Amino acid sequence: MKKIWVIAQNTFHESLRKRTLYIVLVFGLVVIGASKFFSFLTAQEELKMIQDVSFSAIEFFGALIAIFGALGAISSEIEKRTIYTLLSKPITRYHFVIGKFVGQILILLVNFLLLCLFFVGLLLFKKSVPNIEIFKALFLIFVELLLISSITLALATFTSDAFNIIFSFFLYIVGHLTSYGRQLIERTENIILKGLGDMLYTIVPNYENFAIRDKVVVGVPVSWQYVGKTVSYGLIYIVIAILIGIYCFQKREV
Amino acid sequence: MALIETKELTKIYELGWKKRVVGLNRVNLQIEEGEIFGILGPNGSGKTTCLKLLLGVLFPTSGEALIMGKGPLDVEMKKNVGFLPENPYYYDYLTGPELLKFYGRLFDLAPETIRKRTGELLELVGLNDAKRLALRHYSKGMLERIGLAASLINDPKILVLDEPTTGLDPIGCKETRDLLLRLNQEGKTILLSSHFLSEVERVCSRIAIFHRGNLIELGTLKDLLVQYEASTLEDLFVKSIEKFDQQHPA
Ligand SMILES: Nc1ncnc2c1ncn2[C@@H]1O[C@H](COP(=O)(O)OP(=O)(O)OP(=O)(O)O)[C@@H](O)[C@H]1O
Ligand SMILES: [Mg+2]
Repeated sequence: MKKIWVIAQNTFHESLRKRTLYIVLVFGLVVIGASKFFSFLTAQEELKMIQDVSFSAIEFFGALIAIFGALGAISSEIEKRTIYTLLSKPITRYHFVIGKFVGQILILLVNFLLLCLFFVGLLLFKKSVPNIEIFKALFLIFVELLLISSITLALATFTSDAFNIIFSFFLYIVGHLTSYGRQLIERTENIILKGLGDMLYTIVPNYENFAIRDKVVVGVPVSWQYVGKTVSYGLIYIVIAILIGIYCFQKREV
Repeated sequence: MALIETKELTKIYELGWKKRVVGLNRVNLQIEEGEIFGILGPNGSGKTTCLKLLLGVLFPTSGEALIMGKGPLDVEMKKNVGFLPENPYYYDYLTGPELLKFYGRLFDLAPETIRKRTGELLELVGLNDAKRLALRHYSKGMLERIGLAASLINDPKILVLDEPTTGLDPIGCKETRDLLLRLNQEGKTILLSSHFLSEVERVCSRIAIFHRGNLIELGTLKDLLVQYEASTLEDLFVKSIEKFDQQHPA
Protein backbone atom coordinates (compact mmCIF):
# COMPACT_ATOMS: atom_id res chain seq x y z
CA MET A 1 0.00 0.00 0.00
CA LYS A 2 2.71 2.43 0.96
CA LYS A 3 4.59 1.81 -2.28
CA ILE A 4 1.48 2.58 -4.29
CA TRP A 5 1.18 5.85 -2.43
CA VAL A 6 4.85 6.74 -2.99
CA ILE A 7 4.46 6.18 -6.74
CA ALA A 8 1.20 8.13 -6.77
CA GLN A 9 2.83 11.08 -5.03
CA ASN A 10 5.71 11.05 -7.46
CA THR A 11 3.30 11.08 -10.40
CA PHE A 12 1.36 13.94 -8.88
CA HIS A 13 4.53 15.83 -8.13
CA GLU A 14 5.67 15.40 -11.72
CA SER A 15 2.47 16.77 -13.20
CA LEU A 16 2.55 19.79 -10.89
CA ARG A 17 5.98 20.68 -12.14
CA LYS A 18 5.48 19.85 -15.78
CA ARG A 19 2.87 22.56 -16.25
CA THR A 20 1.46 21.15 -19.48
CA LEU A 21 -1.83 20.40 -17.77
CA TYR A 22 -2.02 23.98 -16.48
CA ILE A 23 -2.65 25.16 -20.01
CA VAL A 24 -5.72 22.97 -20.27
CA LEU A 25 -6.84 24.14 -16.86
CA VAL A 26 -6.49 27.79 -17.86
CA PHE A 27 -8.53 27.19 -21.00
CA GLY A 28 -11.23 25.61 -18.89
CA LEU A 29 -11.29 28.58 -16.53
CA VAL A 30 -11.42 31.01 -19.44
CA VAL A 31 -14.37 29.23 -21.02
CA ILE A 32 -16.27 29.13 -17.74
CA GLY A 33 -15.45 32.78 -17.16
CA ALA A 34 -16.56 33.73 -20.66
CA SER A 35 -20.00 32.27 -20.10
CA LYS A 36 -20.94 35.24 -17.98
CA PHE A 37 -20.50 37.73 -20.78
CA PHE A 38 -23.76 36.95 -22.48
CA SER A 39 -25.29 40.06 -21.02
CA PHE A 40 -28.04 40.30 -23.62
CA LEU A 41 -29.76 37.43 -21.88
CA THR A 42 -32.20 37.84 -19.03
CA ALA A 43 -30.82 37.04 -15.60
CA GLN A 44 -32.62 33.72 -15.56
CA GLU A 45 -31.33 32.71 -18.95
CA GLU A 46 -27.88 33.87 -18.08
CA LEU A 47 -27.72 31.58 -15.06
CA LYS A 48 -28.76 28.65 -17.22
CA MET A 49 -26.15 29.59 -19.73
CA ILE A 50 -23.43 29.74 -17.09
CA GLN A 51 -24.42 26.33 -15.78
CA ASP A 52 -24.66 24.80 -19.20
CA VAL A 53 -21.32 26.11 -20.40
CA SER A 54 -19.58 25.35 -17.12
CA PHE A 55 -20.75 21.76 -16.92
CA SER A 56 -19.65 21.16 -20.48
CA ALA A 57 -16.33 22.91 -19.96
CA ILE A 58 -15.57 21.01 -16.77
CA GLU A 59 -16.40 17.76 -18.46
CA PHE A 60 -14.51 18.46 -21.67
CA PHE A 61 -11.37 19.99 -20.22
CA GLY A 62 -11.46 17.43 -17.43
CA ALA A 63 -11.49 14.72 -20.09
CA LEU A 64 -8.49 16.30 -21.78
CA ILE A 65 -6.60 16.32 -18.51
CA ALA A 66 -7.68 12.74 -17.81
CA ILE A 67 -6.54 11.46 -21.20
CA PHE A 68 -3.27 13.33 -21.50
CA GLY A 69 -2.43 12.83 -17.85
CA ALA A 70 -2.93 9.07 -17.90
CA LEU A 71 -1.10 8.76 -21.19
CA GLY A 72 1.93 10.65 -19.94
CA ALA A 73 1.99 8.85 -16.62
CA ILE A 74 2.83 5.52 -18.22
CA SER A 75 4.49 6.39 -21.50
CA SER A 76 6.89 9.01 -20.18
CA GLU A 77 8.32 6.43 -17.77
CA ILE A 78 8.91 4.06 -20.65
CA GLU A 79 10.13 6.63 -23.16
CA LYS A 80 12.56 8.21 -20.74
CA ARG A 81 13.63 4.80 -19.48
CA THR A 82 13.03 5.76 -15.86
CA ILE A 83 11.06 2.55 -15.71
CA TYR A 84 14.24 0.42 -15.71
CA THR A 85 15.37 1.79 -12.41
CA LEU A 86 11.88 1.82 -10.98
CA LEU A 87 11.22 -1.83 -11.76
CA SER A 88 14.56 -2.81 -10.23
CA LYS A 89 13.24 -1.54 -6.89
CA PRO A 90 11.23 -3.81 -4.60
CA ILE A 91 7.91 -3.07 -6.22
CA THR A 92 5.68 -5.22 -8.35
CA ARG A 93 4.12 -4.18 -11.57
CA TYR A 94 0.70 -3.84 -10.04
CA HIS A 95 2.12 -1.34 -7.54
CA PHE A 96 3.23 0.62 -10.56
CA VAL A 97 -0.09 0.57 -12.42
CA ILE A 98 -2.24 1.25 -9.38
CA GLY A 99 0.20 3.89 -8.14
CA LYS A 100 -0.03 5.65 -11.46
CA PHE A 101 -3.81 5.55 -11.34
CA VAL A 102 -3.95 6.90 -7.81
CA GLY A 103 -1.62 9.66 -8.97
CA GLN A 104 -4.05 10.47 -11.76
CA ILE A 105 -6.92 10.58 -9.28
CA LEU A 106 -5.02 13.19 -7.28
CA ILE A 107 -4.26 15.24 -10.39
CA LEU A 108 -7.84 15.09 -11.61
CA LEU A 109 -9.15 15.94 -8.19
CA VAL A 110 -7.07 19.09 -7.92
CA ASN A 111 -7.88 20.29 -11.43
CA PHE A 112 -11.53 19.39 -11.08
CA LEU A 113 -11.87 21.17 -7.74
CA LEU A 114 -10.28 24.30 -9.16
CA LEU A 115 -12.71 24.32 -12.09
CA CYS A 116 -15.64 23.67 -9.76
CA LEU A 117 -14.55 26.37 -7.37
CA PHE A 118 -14.47 28.86 -10.19
CA PHE A 119 -17.88 27.76 -11.39
CA VAL A 120 -19.48 27.95 -7.96
CA GLY A 121 -17.80 31.29 -7.37
CA LEU A 122 -19.34 32.56 -10.58
CA LEU A 123 -22.78 31.38 -9.50
CA LEU A 124 -22.42 33.06 -6.13
CA PHE A 125 -21.26 36.21 -7.86
CA LYS A 126 -24.51 36.12 -9.81
CA LYS A 127 -26.33 35.80 -6.50
CA SER A 128 -27.40 32.23 -7.12
CA VAL A 129 -26.69 29.74 -4.35
CA PRO A 130 -25.90 26.35 -5.96
CA ASN A 131 -28.27 23.62 -4.87
CA ILE A 132 -27.48 19.99 -4.19
CA GLU A 133 -28.48 19.01 -7.73
CA ILE A 134 -25.55 20.94 -9.09
CA PHE A 135 -23.18 19.03 -6.86
CA LYS A 136 -24.70 15.74 -7.91
CA ALA A 137 -24.03 16.65 -11.52
CA LEU A 138 -20.45 17.68 -10.73
CA PHE A 139 -19.83 14.52 -8.76
CA LEU A 140 -20.98 12.32 -11.63
CA ILE A 141 -18.75 14.27 -14.01
CA PHE A 142 -15.83 13.49 -11.71
CA VAL A 143 -16.61 9.77 -11.75
CA GLU A 144 -16.78 9.96 -15.54
CA LEU A 145 -13.34 11.60 -15.61
CA LEU A 146 -11.93 8.80 -13.45
CA LEU A 147 -13.39 6.30 -15.87
CA ILE A 148 -11.87 8.06 -18.88
CA SER A 149 -8.54 8.18 -17.09
CA SER A 150 -8.61 4.48 -16.21
CA ILE A 151 -9.30 3.50 -19.80
CA THR A 152 -6.46 5.58 -21.20
CA LEU A 153 -4.17 4.24 -18.49
CA ALA A 154 -5.08 0.66 -19.36
CA LEU A 155 -4.48 1.31 -23.06
CA ALA A 156 -1.13 2.91 -22.28
CA THR A 157 0.13 -0.36 -20.88
CA PHE A 158 0.07 -2.05 -24.26
CA THR A 159 -0.44 0.43 -27.12
CA SER A 160 1.43 3.31 -28.67
CA ASP A 161 0.64 6.90 -27.73
CA ALA A 162 -0.85 7.74 -31.10
CA PHE A 163 -3.23 4.82 -31.06
CA ASN A 164 -4.09 5.50 -27.46
CA ILE A 165 -5.03 9.14 -28.06
CA ILE A 166 -7.12 8.31 -31.08
CA PHE A 167 -8.87 5.43 -29.40
CA SER A 168 -9.47 7.33 -26.16
CA PHE A 169 -11.10 10.23 -27.99
CA PHE A 170 -13.01 7.85 -30.18
CA LEU A 171 -14.40 6.16 -27.07
CA TYR A 172 -15.13 9.53 -25.55
CA ILE A 173 -17.24 10.50 -28.54
CA VAL A 174 -18.84 7.12 -29.09
CA GLY A 175 -19.48 6.81 -25.37
CA HIS A 176 -21.58 9.94 -25.58
CA LEU A 177 -23.50 8.69 -28.56
CA THR A 178 -24.36 5.16 -27.46
CA SER A 179 -27.99 6.06 -26.83
CA TYR A 180 -28.37 7.22 -30.42
CA GLY A 181 -26.53 4.14 -31.55
CA ARG A 182 -28.96 2.05 -29.58
CA GLN A 183 -31.87 3.54 -31.44
CA LEU A 184 -30.18 2.89 -34.76
CA ILE A 185 -29.54 -0.73 -33.83
CA GLU A 186 -33.13 -1.28 -32.90
CA ARG A 187 -34.22 -0.20 -36.34
CA THR A 188 -31.87 -2.38 -38.35
CA GLU A 189 -33.03 -5.72 -39.75
CA ASN A 190 -29.60 -7.18 -40.29
CA ILE A 191 -28.94 -9.76 -37.58
CA ILE A 192 -25.17 -9.57 -37.73
CA LEU A 193 -25.21 -5.80 -37.51
CA LYS A 194 -27.67 -6.02 -34.68
CA GLY A 195 -25.53 -8.50 -32.76
CA LEU A 196 -22.44 -6.44 -33.31
CA GLY A 197 -24.22 -3.30 -32.24
CA ASP A 198 -25.58 -4.93 -29.13
CA MET A 199 -22.13 -6.14 -28.22
CA LEU A 200 -20.61 -2.69 -28.70
CA TYR A 201 -23.38 -1.17 -26.67
CA THR A 202 -22.60 -3.50 -23.78
CA ILE A 203 -18.84 -3.00 -23.91
CA VAL A 204 -18.52 0.72 -24.61
CA PRO A 205 -19.12 2.74 -21.47
CA ASN A 206 -22.12 4.98 -21.81
CA TYR A 207 -20.80 8.37 -20.81
CA GLU A 208 -24.24 9.89 -21.20
CA ASN A 209 -25.22 8.09 -18.01
CA PHE A 210 -23.08 10.58 -16.16
CA ALA A 211 -24.55 13.59 -17.90
CA ILE A 212 -27.44 14.70 -15.73
CA ARG A 213 -26.64 18.33 -16.36
CA ASP A 214 -29.46 18.80 -18.86
CA LYS A 215 -31.90 17.97 -16.13
CA VAL A 216 -30.11 20.01 -13.53
CA VAL A 217 -30.00 23.09 -15.70
CA VAL A 218 -33.75 23.09 -16.18
CA GLY A 219 -34.32 22.25 -12.54
CA VAL A 220 -35.47 18.62 -12.75
CA PRO A 221 -34.21 16.75 -9.66
CA VAL A 222 -32.23 13.53 -10.03
CA SER A 223 -32.67 10.80 -7.43
CA TRP A 224 -29.84 9.66 -5.17
CA GLN A 225 -30.66 6.20 -6.31
CA TYR A 226 -29.73 7.15 -9.85
CA VAL A 227 -26.52 8.76 -8.64
CA GLY A 228 -25.61 5.62 -6.69
CA LYS A 229 -26.37 3.36 -9.61
CA THR A 230 -24.32 5.44 -12.00
CA VAL A 231 -21.37 5.59 -9.62
CA SER A 232 -21.40 1.80 -9.32
CA TYR A 233 -21.64 1.57 -13.09
CA GLY A 234 -18.53 3.73 -13.38
CA LEU A 235 -16.65 1.86 -10.67
CA ILE A 236 -17.19 -1.47 -12.38
CA TYR A 237 -15.66 -0.12 -15.59
CA ILE A 238 -12.78 1.45 -13.67
CA VAL A 239 -11.94 -1.77 -11.84
CA ILE A 240 -12.06 -3.78 -15.07
CA ALA A 241 -9.90 -1.23 -16.89
CA ILE A 242 -7.28 -1.20 -14.14
CA LEU A 243 -7.23 -5.00 -13.98
CA ILE A 244 -6.68 -5.14 -17.74
CA GLY A 245 -3.92 -2.55 -17.33
CA ILE A 246 -2.20 -4.61 -14.64
CA TYR A 247 -2.51 -7.79 -16.68
CA CYS A 248 -1.06 -6.23 -19.81
CA PHE A 249 1.70 -4.43 -17.99
CA GLN A 250 2.78 -7.63 -16.31
CA LYS A 251 3.37 -9.14 -19.75
CA ARG A 252 5.06 -6.07 -21.10
CA GLU A 253 8.75 -5.75 -21.71
CA VAL A 254 9.89 -2.20 -21.31
CA MET B 1 24.92 -21.52 -3.77
CA ALA B 2 25.99 -18.78 -6.15
CA LEU B 3 24.66 -15.33 -5.31
CA ILE B 4 23.85 -14.53 -8.92
CA GLU B 5 23.16 -17.29 -11.37
CA THR B 6 21.93 -17.72 -14.91
CA LYS B 7 20.95 -21.08 -16.31
CA GLU B 8 20.86 -21.43 -20.08
CA LEU B 9 19.57 -17.87 -20.12
CA THR B 10 18.27 -16.98 -23.56
CA LYS B 11 16.64 -13.90 -24.96
CA ILE B 12 15.34 -13.67 -28.49
CA TYR B 13 13.84 -10.32 -29.44
CA GLU B 14 10.83 -10.78 -31.68
CA LEU B 15 10.65 -7.81 -33.98
CA GLY B 16 7.59 -8.79 -35.92
CA TRP B 17 7.05 -11.24 -38.67
CA LYS B 18 10.09 -13.49 -39.22
CA LYS B 19 12.38 -10.83 -37.81
CA ARG B 20 14.19 -11.79 -34.68
CA VAL B 21 17.40 -10.82 -32.98
CA VAL B 22 19.31 -13.05 -30.62
CA GLY B 23 20.05 -10.93 -27.58
CA LEU B 24 21.45 -13.68 -25.40
CA ASN B 25 22.10 -17.31 -26.20
CA ARG B 26 22.10 -19.98 -23.47
CA VAL B 27 24.32 -18.19 -21.01
CA ASN B 28 25.42 -19.94 -17.82
CA LEU B 29 26.99 -17.74 -15.19
CA GLN B 30 27.65 -18.18 -11.50
CA ILE B 31 28.78 -15.25 -9.45
CA GLU B 32 29.80 -15.90 -5.87
CA GLU B 33 29.43 -13.68 -2.86
CA GLY B 34 32.20 -11.10 -2.54
CA GLU B 35 33.19 -11.01 -6.19
CA ILE B 36 33.55 -8.05 -8.49
CA PHE B 37 32.50 -9.61 -11.74
CA GLY B 38 33.00 -7.83 -15.04
CA ILE B 39 31.16 -8.44 -18.28
CA LEU B 40 33.01 -7.38 -21.41
CA GLY B 41 31.97 -7.56 -25.02
CA PRO B 42 31.55 -5.59 -28.23
CA ASN B 43 28.54 -3.36 -28.78
CA GLY B 44 25.39 -5.41 -29.12
CA SER B 45 26.92 -8.52 -27.56
CA GLY B 46 24.18 -8.93 -24.95
CA LYS B 47 25.62 -7.35 -21.81
CA THR B 48 22.71 -5.04 -21.16
CA THR B 49 20.25 -7.75 -22.13
CA CYS B 50 21.74 -10.06 -19.52
CA LEU B 51 21.55 -7.46 -16.75
CA LYS B 52 17.99 -6.49 -17.64
CA LEU B 53 16.94 -10.12 -17.54
CA LEU B 54 18.39 -10.43 -14.05
CA LEU B 55 16.36 -7.44 -12.85
CA GLY B 56 13.07 -8.49 -14.44
CA VAL B 57 12.90 -5.58 -16.88
CA LEU B 58 12.98 -8.10 -19.71
CA PHE B 59 11.61 -11.63 -19.62
CA PRO B 60 13.73 -14.55 -20.82
CA THR B 61 12.72 -16.53 -23.88
CA SER B 62 14.04 -19.59 -22.06
CA GLY B 63 16.33 -20.41 -19.19
CA GLU B 64 16.49 -18.84 -15.77
CA ALA B 65 17.97 -15.80 -14.06
CA LEU B 66 18.40 -15.98 -10.30
CA ILE B 67 19.66 -13.62 -7.65
CA MET B 68 20.02 -15.14 -4.18
CA GLY B 69 18.17 -18.12 -5.56
CA LYS B 70 15.13 -15.98 -6.40
CA GLY B 71 13.62 -15.05 -9.73
CA PRO B 72 13.75 -11.49 -11.08
CA LEU B 73 10.28 -10.55 -9.87
CA ASP B 74 10.87 -11.41 -6.23
CA VAL B 75 10.28 -8.28 -4.14
CA GLU B 76 12.22 -9.45 -1.09
CA MET B 77 15.26 -10.24 -3.22
CA LYS B 78 15.20 -6.77 -4.75
CA LYS B 79 15.58 -5.15 -1.35
CA ASN B 80 19.17 -6.38 -1.48
CA VAL B 81 19.97 -5.13 -4.95
CA GLY B 82 21.08 -1.80 -6.36
CA PHE B 83 20.87 -1.26 -10.11
CA LEU B 84 22.40 1.39 -12.33
CA PRO B 85 21.07 1.16 -15.89
CA GLU B 86 23.05 2.08 -18.98
CA ASN B 87 22.88 5.82 -19.77
CA PRO B 88 20.64 6.41 -16.79
CA TYR B 89 17.92 8.96 -17.03
CA TYR B 90 15.75 10.05 -14.16
CA TYR B 91 12.69 12.15 -13.45
CA ASP B 92 14.06 15.40 -14.75
CA TYR B 93 11.90 17.68 -12.62
CA LEU B 94 13.31 16.25 -9.38
CA THR B 95 16.47 17.36 -7.63
CA GLY B 96 19.14 14.88 -6.58
CA PRO B 97 17.98 14.65 -2.96
CA GLU B 98 14.35 14.29 -4.07
CA LEU B 99 15.28 11.43 -6.36
CA LEU B 100 17.11 9.60 -3.58
CA LYS B 101 14.18 10.19 -1.26
CA PHE B 102 11.74 8.73 -3.78
CA TYR B 103 13.77 5.56 -4.22
CA GLY B 104 14.49 5.34 -0.51
CA ARG B 105 10.79 5.38 0.24
CA LEU B 106 10.22 2.55 -2.20
CA PHE B 107 12.59 0.54 -0.03
CA ASP B 108 10.51 1.43 3.00
CA LEU B 109 13.47 3.17 4.62
CA ALA B 110 12.84 5.43 7.59
CA PRO B 111 12.91 9.17 6.80
CA GLU B 112 15.96 9.70 9.04
CA THR B 113 17.82 6.91 7.30
CA ILE B 114 17.02 8.42 3.92
CA ARG B 115 18.14 11.88 5.02
CA LYS B 116 21.37 10.58 6.46
CA ARG B 117 22.25 8.44 3.46
CA THR B 118 21.30 11.16 1.00
CA GLY B 119 23.86 13.46 2.59
CA GLU B 120 26.53 10.77 2.60
CA LEU B 121 25.88 9.59 -0.93
CA LEU B 122 25.81 13.04 -2.52
CA GLU B 123 29.12 13.71 -0.84
CA LEU B 124 30.42 10.37 -2.05
CA VAL B 125 29.60 10.97 -5.73
CA GLY B 126 30.65 14.61 -5.60
CA LEU B 127 27.26 16.20 -6.18
CA ASN B 128 27.01 18.21 -3.01
CA ASP B 129 27.11 21.48 -4.91
CA ALA B 130 24.29 20.46 -7.23
CA LYS B 131 21.80 19.71 -4.45
CA ARG B 132 19.20 22.19 -5.59
CA LEU B 133 19.55 21.62 -9.30
CA ALA B 134 16.77 19.78 -11.13
CA LEU B 135 18.03 16.67 -12.90
CA ARG B 136 17.13 18.09 -16.30
CA HIS B 137 19.97 20.53 -15.82
CA TYR B 138 22.47 17.75 -15.06
CA SER B 139 25.24 16.86 -17.45
CA LYS B 140 25.67 13.29 -18.67
CA GLY B 141 28.37 12.50 -16.14
CA MET B 142 26.37 14.06 -13.34
CA LEU B 143 23.44 11.81 -14.22
CA GLU B 144 25.76 8.83 -14.06
CA ARG B 145 26.90 9.99 -10.64
CA ILE B 146 23.42 10.52 -9.24
CA GLY B 147 22.52 7.13 -10.69
CA LEU B 148 25.32 5.52 -8.76
CA ALA B 149 24.17 7.26 -5.59
CA ALA B 150 20.60 6.15 -6.26
CA SER B 151 21.70 2.56 -6.67
CA LEU B 152 23.29 2.70 -3.21
CA ILE B 153 20.38 4.24 -1.32
CA ASN B 154 19.32 0.91 0.17
CA ASP B 155 22.88 -0.11 1.12
CA PRO B 156 22.50 -3.17 -1.12
CA LYS B 157 24.35 -6.46 -0.78
CA ILE B 158 24.47 -6.76 -4.53
CA LEU B 159 25.25 -4.02 -7.02
CA VAL B 160 24.45 -4.40 -10.70
CA LEU B 161 26.02 -1.64 -12.77
CA ASP B 162 25.68 -1.26 -16.53
CA GLU B 163 28.68 0.76 -17.73
CA PRO B 164 29.06 2.76 -14.52
CA THR B 165 31.89 4.95 -15.77
CA THR B 166 30.70 5.81 -19.26
CA GLY B 167 30.48 9.56 -19.40
CA LEU B 168 32.57 10.20 -16.33
CA ASP B 169 35.66 12.40 -16.37
CA PRO B 170 39.02 10.80 -15.55
CA ILE B 171 38.78 11.77 -11.91
CA GLY B 172 35.24 10.44 -11.74
CA CYS B 173 36.42 7.16 -13.24
CA LYS B 174 39.17 6.81 -10.71
CA GLU B 175 36.86 7.72 -7.84
CA THR B 176 34.29 5.21 -9.00
CA ARG B 177 36.94 2.53 -9.26
CA ASP B 178 38.13 3.24 -5.73
CA LEU B 179 34.54 3.31 -4.53
CA LEU B 180 33.78 -0.07 -6.06
CA LEU B 181 36.85 -1.58 -4.42
CA ARG B 182 35.88 -0.12 -1.08
CA LEU B 183 32.28 -1.28 -1.34
CA ASN B 184 33.57 -4.71 -2.22
CA GLN B 185 35.77 -4.74 0.86
CA GLU B 186 32.70 -3.87 2.89
CA GLY B 187 31.24 -7.11 1.61
CA LYS B 188 29.20 -6.10 -1.42
CA THR B 189 29.07 -8.29 -4.48
CA ILE B 190 29.34 -6.32 -7.69
CA LEU B 191 28.34 -7.24 -11.23
CA LEU B 192 29.28 -4.67 -13.83
CA SER B 193 29.58 -4.30 -17.56
CA SER B 194 32.17 -2.05 -19.10
CA HIS B 195 34.06 -1.07 -22.21
CA PHE B 196 36.99 0.26 -20.22
CA LEU B 197 39.46 -2.55 -20.15
CA SER B 198 41.86 -0.84 -17.78
CA GLU B 199 39.06 -0.38 -15.29
CA VAL B 200 37.99 -3.99 -15.54
CA GLU B 201 41.61 -5.04 -15.23
CA ARG B 202 42.02 -3.14 -12.01
CA VAL B 203 38.84 -3.98 -10.15
CA CYS B 204 37.38 -7.26 -11.36
CA SER B 205 38.14 -10.58 -9.72
CA ARG B 206 36.66 -12.49 -12.65
CA ILE B 207 35.53 -11.54 -16.11
CA ALA B 208 33.20 -12.85 -18.78
CA ILE B 209 33.42 -11.98 -22.45
CA PHE B 210 30.18 -11.84 -24.40
CA HIS B 211 29.97 -11.92 -28.16
CA ARG B 212 26.88 -12.08 -30.35
CA GLY B 213 24.81 -13.09 -27.37
CA ASN B 214 27.14 -15.90 -26.37
CA LEU B 215 29.30 -16.21 -23.31
CA ILE B 216 32.60 -16.98 -25.01
CA GLU B 217 35.09 -16.77 -22.16
CA LEU B 218 34.89 -16.86 -18.40
CA GLY B 219 37.54 -16.85 -15.70
CA THR B 220 40.10 -14.84 -13.80
CA LEU B 221 42.09 -12.38 -15.82
CA LYS B 222 45.31 -14.23 -15.01
CA ASP B 223 44.09 -17.59 -16.22
CA LEU B 224 42.63 -16.18 -19.40
CA LEU B 225 45.80 -14.27 -20.24
CA VAL B 226 47.79 -17.48 -19.92
CA GLN B 227 45.26 -19.44 -21.91
CA TYR B 228 45.34 -17.02 -24.84
CA GLU B 229 49.06 -16.27 -24.56
CA ALA B 230 48.07 -12.63 -24.38
CA SER B 231 50.01 -9.88 -22.69
CA THR B 232 47.19 -7.43 -22.12
CA LEU B 233 43.45 -7.58 -21.65
CA GLU B 234 43.01 -5.82 -24.96
CA ASP B 235 45.02 -8.51 -26.67
CA LEU B 236 42.99 -11.18 -24.93
CA PHE B 237 39.72 -9.49 -25.86
CA VAL B 238 40.56 -9.31 -29.55
CA LYS B 239 41.91 -12.85 -29.70
CA SER B 240 38.91 -14.40 -28.00
CA ILE B 241 36.52 -12.61 -30.34
CA GLU B 242 38.51 -13.64 -33.41
CA LYS B 243 38.64 -17.21 -32.28
CA PHE B 244 34.90 -17.33 -31.76
CA ASP B 245 34.23 -15.75 -35.15
CA GLN B 246 36.43 -18.34 -36.85
CA GLN B 247 34.68 -21.19 -35.11
CA HIS B 248 31.19 -19.78 -35.63
CA PRO B 249 31.03 -17.91 -38.92
CA ALA B 250 27.81 -15.95 -39.14
N1 LIG C 1 14.64 -3.76 -27.18
C1 LIG C 1 15.27 -4.45 -28.13
N2 LIG C 1 14.62 -4.88 -29.21
C2 LIG C 1 15.25 -5.59 -30.16
N3 LIG C 1 16.52 -5.93 -30.12
C3 LIG C 1 17.25 -5.53 -29.08
C4 LIG C 1 16.66 -4.78 -28.02
N4 LIG C 1 17.61 -4.53 -27.11
C5 LIG C 1 18.73 -5.11 -27.57
N5 LIG C 1 18.52 -5.71 -28.76
C6 LIG C 1 19.51 -6.48 -29.55
O1 LIG C 1 20.11 -7.41 -28.70
C7 LIG C 1 21.49 -7.47 -28.93
C8 LIG C 1 22.24 -7.24 -27.64
O2 LIG C 1 22.00 -5.93 -27.19
P1 LIG C 1 22.54 -5.37 -25.81
O3 LIG C 1 21.91 -4.04 -25.57
O4 LIG C 1 22.36 -6.38 -24.78
O5 LIG C 1 24.08 -5.15 -26.12
P2 LIG C 1 25.25 -4.59 -25.21
O6 LIG C 1 26.25 -5.67 -25.07
O7 LIG C 1 24.72 -4.01 -23.97
O8 LIG C 1 25.84 -3.45 -26.16
P3 LIG C 1 26.52 -2.05 -25.78
O9 LIG C 1 27.93 -2.34 -25.50
O10 LIG C 1 26.39 -1.24 -27.03
O11 LIG C 1 25.80 -1.47 -24.63
C9 LIG C 1 21.79 -6.45 -30.01
O12 LIG C 1 21.92 -7.15 -31.22
C10 LIG C 1 20.58 -5.57 -30.07
O13 LIG C 1 20.31 -5.19 -31.38
MG1 LIG D 1 24.74 -2.20 -23.16
